[in-house]
Amino acid sequence: MSETLSGTTHEVSATVMDLPRRDARDKLRGRTRYTVDRVRPDMLHAVLLRSGVPAGRIVRLDVEAARHASGVRAIATGQDAPGLYGIGIADHPLLAIDTIRYHGEPIVAIAAETETEARAALALVELEIEPLAPVLTMGEALAKDARLVHDGWRDYEVLTEGGAREGNIAWEARTTRGDVDAAFARPDVKIVETTIRVGRQSHVPFEPRTAIGSWENGRAHIETSTQVPWTVRNVTGRVLQLPPGRVRVTVPPVGGGFGLKFDATIEPITALLARITGRTVVIENTRQEEMATCLCRENAEILIRSAVTADGEIAGREAVVLMDCGAYGGEQIFLSTMTAHTLGGNYRVGAMRLVSRAVYTNTPPNGAFRACNGVYNTFALERHTDEICQALGLDPLAFRKKNVLGDGDLGATGQVFEGNVLRPMLERMDALRAVTGTVEDKADGRLYGRATTVGTWFVFVGPSAATINMNADGSATLVTSGVEIGSGTMMQSLPQIVAGQLGLTPDQVVVREADTDSAGLDVGVGGGRTTVSIGAASIGAAEELRNKLFGFASELLQTRPEDLELVGGRVAIKGRPGSGIAVSAVVQHAQSVSGPVTGTGSFTGKPVPFMSGCAFGHMIEALEIPVFVVHEAEVAVDPDTGHVEVLAYRVVQDVGRALNRRAIMGQIQGGVVQGLGYALHEAVTIAPDGRIREDGFETYRVPLAGDVVPVVADLYEGAPSSGPLGTKGAGEVPILGVAAAIGCAVANATGKLVRELPLTPPRVLSLLKGRERAPEFPHIAASFEANTLA
Amino acid sequence: MDMQDGPERIFESAATVAEAVAARASGAAVLAGGTWTMRDPRRGVTLPERIVALSKIAELQSIEVFDDRISIGASVTHSLLAGAVSEIVGLEGLAAAATGAANPAIRRVATVGGNLCATEFAAADLVPALLALDAEVELALADGPRLLPLSEFLKARAALLKTALLTRVIVRRDVIASAHIRLPLRKAGDYPVAIVSVARSSDGTVRVAVGSVEPVARRWTALEAALGGKVATAEEAQALAEKTNDFIGRDGIETEGWYRREVLPALVRRAFAALRKGGAA
Amino acid sequence: MTVTFQLNGERCRFHEDPMTPLLDVLRREKFLTGAKAVCREGFCGACTVHVDGEPMMSCLKPVGLVSGCSVTTIEGLSSGDQALHPLQAAFEAADVVQCGMCFPGMVMSLSAFVRDNPEATRPQIKTAMAGNICRCTGYERIIDAVADYLAVQKAGSQAKEAAHV
Repeated sequence: MSETLSGTTHEVSATVMDLPRRDARDKLRGRTRYTVDRVRPDMLHAVLLRSGVPAGRIVRLDVEAARHASGVRAIATGQDAPGLYGIGIADHPLLAIDTIRYHGEPIVAIAAETETEARAALALVELEIEPLAPVLTMGEALAKDARLVHDGWRDYEVLTEGGAREGNIAWEARTTRGDVDAAFARPDVKIVETTIRVGRQSHVPFEPRTAIGSWENGRAHIETSTQVPWTVRNVTGRVLQLPPGRVRVTVPPVGGGFGLKFDATIEPITALLARITGRTVVIENTRQEEMATCLCRENAEILIRSAVTADGEIAGREAVVLMDCGAYGGEQIFLSTMTAHTLGGNYRVGAMRLVSRAVYTNTPPNGAFRACNGVYNTFALERHTDEICQALGLDPLAFRKKNVLGDGDLGATGQVFEGNVLRPMLERMDALRAVTGTVEDKADGRLYGRATTVGTWFVFVGPSAATINMNADGSATLVTSGVEIGSGTMMQSLPQIVAGQLGLTPDQVVVREADTDSAGLDVGVGGGRTTVSIGAASIGAAEELRNKLFGFASELLQTRPEDLELVGGRVAIKGRPGSGIAVSAVVQHAQSVSGPVTGTGSFTGKPVPFMSGCAFGHMIEALEIPVFVVHEAEVAVDPDTGHVEVLAYRVVQDVGRALNRRAIMGQIQGGVVQGLGYALHEAVTIAPDGRIREDGFETYRVPLAGDVVPVVADLYEGAPSSGPLGTKGAGEVPILGVAAAIGCAVANATGKLVRELPLTPPRVLSLLKGRERAPEFPHIAASFEANTLA
Repeated sequence: MDMQDGPERIFESAATVAEAVAARASGAAVLAGGTWTMRDPRRGVTLPERIVALSKIAELQSIEVFDDRISIGASVTHSLLAGAVSEIVGLEGLAAAATGAANPAIRRVATVGGNLCATEFAAADLVPALLALDAEVELALADGPRLLPLSEFLKARAALLKTALLTRVIVRRDVIASAHIRLPLRKAGDYPVAIVSVARSSDGTVRVAVGSVEPVARRWTALEAALGGKVATAEEAQALAEKTNDFIGRDGIETEGWYRREVLPALVRRAFAALRKGGAA
Repeated sequence: MTVTFQLNGERCRFHEDPMTPLLDVLRREKFLTGAKAVCREGFCGACTVHVDGEPMMSCLKPVGLVSGCSVTTIEGLSSGDQALHPLQAAFEAADVVQCGMCFPGMVMSLSAFVRDNPEATRPQIKTAMAGNICRCTGYERIIDAVADYLAVQKAGSQAKEAAHV
């Protein structure tokens, strides 16, 4: 791996370290004030009247009695926020207007002096809803003559062109590469078909979504627990029909996000109520609201079919993926794109076609969750791969080594992958297993299974901006719209990167909390993008600073700028450490002669070539920075009760370059455990009245300390990456391969076809007793073409 | 009595059992550790307007160990109970129930009385454990104390508790071994979806109780009859449990009823295996 | 009614509803926001405080029941510029923290655990954590840090004993 991607060898070695977190001490002492800790006695408390039915028409809404209740200061309804928002399609009102589309949909917001008074006033709202028969499943939504969740879908503003839409199909993305019909018609192939069904996953961030809105000098100021300050700013502008520049968003430390806080939800309501009252207004979701209206990882239904030769060449593949977006399109519109890159990833495939449909239902809207649909598409693909191996009598590991994507292979949209990454990673897994050994003996009479799986995901590159101000004491202040959600990027990666670029120590780099008034556009913290995108923007800013500092120092030192370097807090002459002049002296000099020294940088993803005519309705046609994982699980299945115990877990993760190995290891352990929750414990189900049943910690079971094992991980460095210093995001993908590895291991342990998640004890017992049937999808047509709008 | 008026609520801290009974008779709800009651609002139930707390009644907080019996005060917490009975031969099942329920912080607060009196709490651990021990409960009523078998108490719990205060649980010491097998969906920390408690007395009698499967825990009398006082191996007990499984599992969000019912024979096997090893589950 | 109790060493009076969860008194009346309101049902442990030295969930503790008790919150464990509790220091050194919301409760729960169980094994530490949920870290590093802390304490006390012999 060359050192020339960005920066010199010195800058890389100065950046790589196990930097501890600067926020740990306050967090351990309970001193960190998350948004939820910033409620003051002079604030108004707002609560929401939410729908108790999944579908209906608002026949009458009278808030007069509530308006006169004790302590009430403002009431807002849908009429007060007429603008619609969304991703791709503007289909989502802030508060329901005329139509109810899910159980829990907010209808009225009331701000009062106390929460108790606000809740008392809620009871006085006179609301009459004419219920409609709800469309609760994708099967119902796609049935002939199904009621439309959005009558007026044709009239919505299209924010991104290209997706096919019709009725309850909010968005359709399609990929075709090569002649799939011909591949399936070959005489030397066997056709293998797999159907998969997965449920939703709830994020359960410990800090619920909370926002504090105020109205300052004619502008909204929202302090909120979000991953996407700029999205909150823009959505608030849209729904309140304000220029977005009249909204300022600041973000205190965020108590967990995992993707839930990748969209605006309650924030604009606080701005609206603040505008009406002139007071500061707080909304804090109760835990029940938080879980009942969670923008979950979506439930999905998948049919995947492959044509494979006897010696294991994948000649053709086709798949239909139905993603439940719930009542509004949201993130699923964007994620329909990612089906191509995950189901179409991992393996070399002759010809393929994939269609991914985001389907409206009368259920709470879904959203983004760490590695999003990649998690279940990987589960589906890896289970399918094992079923192929079973059908053809091939060894699954050998099959993978033979077929994984390598240098020059084509992805679903015809993008050309660079470098051999997955195959050497599989070999590294063999080496890791040789070191750790396997633990079949721990199964202790239970059914034992082991599986090795692969996964392909990406870094969500996109716009970021950074400014660095040099201070007279030689320290630097980094100003970005990045948010610390717990992953450590703002506390570890960025100070490491900036310090490495400027020859400082990380503690000399102050990191400013996100404020849309002080930093430029950023698409948010998520998708593994922070280190890459904000890191690249920060390097750009540092580059400008270096040039300025070298310019001033060159005069002071009478040395050519190109002979200078920043090291040890000094502008030094290259190769002579300790020479030159202190950075602080250069900054002070600069301030006196031409003013403060500042550098700015910006970044966005670069288009990657793909095959024209392959992709329809995609928001990303090719992956700029693919990321690969290899996961291996060993499990024991209790034949009496269906309990799955994870005995050992190993990961080989493509990290590009590891800037902080210890921090990455922490992300891997945490991400794998969230994946274990998804694979084994965490179930979200919809009641007949459209409600999410699991709306508390009693019924929604996240993994506890007793349920987990230490994950053994090997960080694979050196795969191609256009990220700064060769990095890739490391926090997103640890969850990617977990359901796949666990699902395949349970299938190996039980000898049964594992086609649904989560693998709770009742489901596994039912599987063992032969009662689980492969999911059948009458609403997915046998012919591929019949499943597309094109 | 120390009576204090809140803005909307009357909160009394009874100093004696008699005071508590009097308060109960006049409509106060009984508050022990609070771990169940405090979740009322989450269940959509308004907190009681009148409360009588038992925390200051010293006599309810003691565990007395006699040669022939153990008397457990209603305010004894799970963790105190676990500490007190963990070394007593024969009470392994009760110790396992007290040690395995909920989580450590809850066990420090949740009481024996609360566990037995929470009528809506199907997954209580102590109930089947004490049923297997054929425990008796002592109730305080306005006209004096009353002793009755736990199984009888459970049948009429809601009605009895309108006027009575559960004060003590009495466990005879004729049990030589017992076991308590709980099946949560995770390793620990959540409510068990099914519980099997067994106990063997010195006269050879074996009692089996099942919790969390039906709305109220009960003895598995059909299995006890099939066992007929014989010393059964774990596998024999499992086979008999298959034949005598007359439980109707309750449906819940965490699982459907069939699962609770179907795991019972395996739990019986485990319980009997533990019994043979001296009760350690 | 008025409830009086000791809060981080000082007398505290509360005049409202005695069924108010102690957690709400801490956060809303005293602005001690270290204890977090997360599940509010006694499952997650984020609101753990010490009542008379024992860790308990403040969400399920009616303030009326702490009358006369001594309550210590995370703010009282190492206040002002005092040194961290050694377990907090061990957590900081091991880089265990991510979002941080669970840690005030985790520290209150485990600081009492290490005090009472100096000989605890790794499985015992895991068992003790059944009521302290963390959504970020996957637990193992926390468990490692507790185990290492106990080993260091033990080595320290053995060294002391050896010095006295």
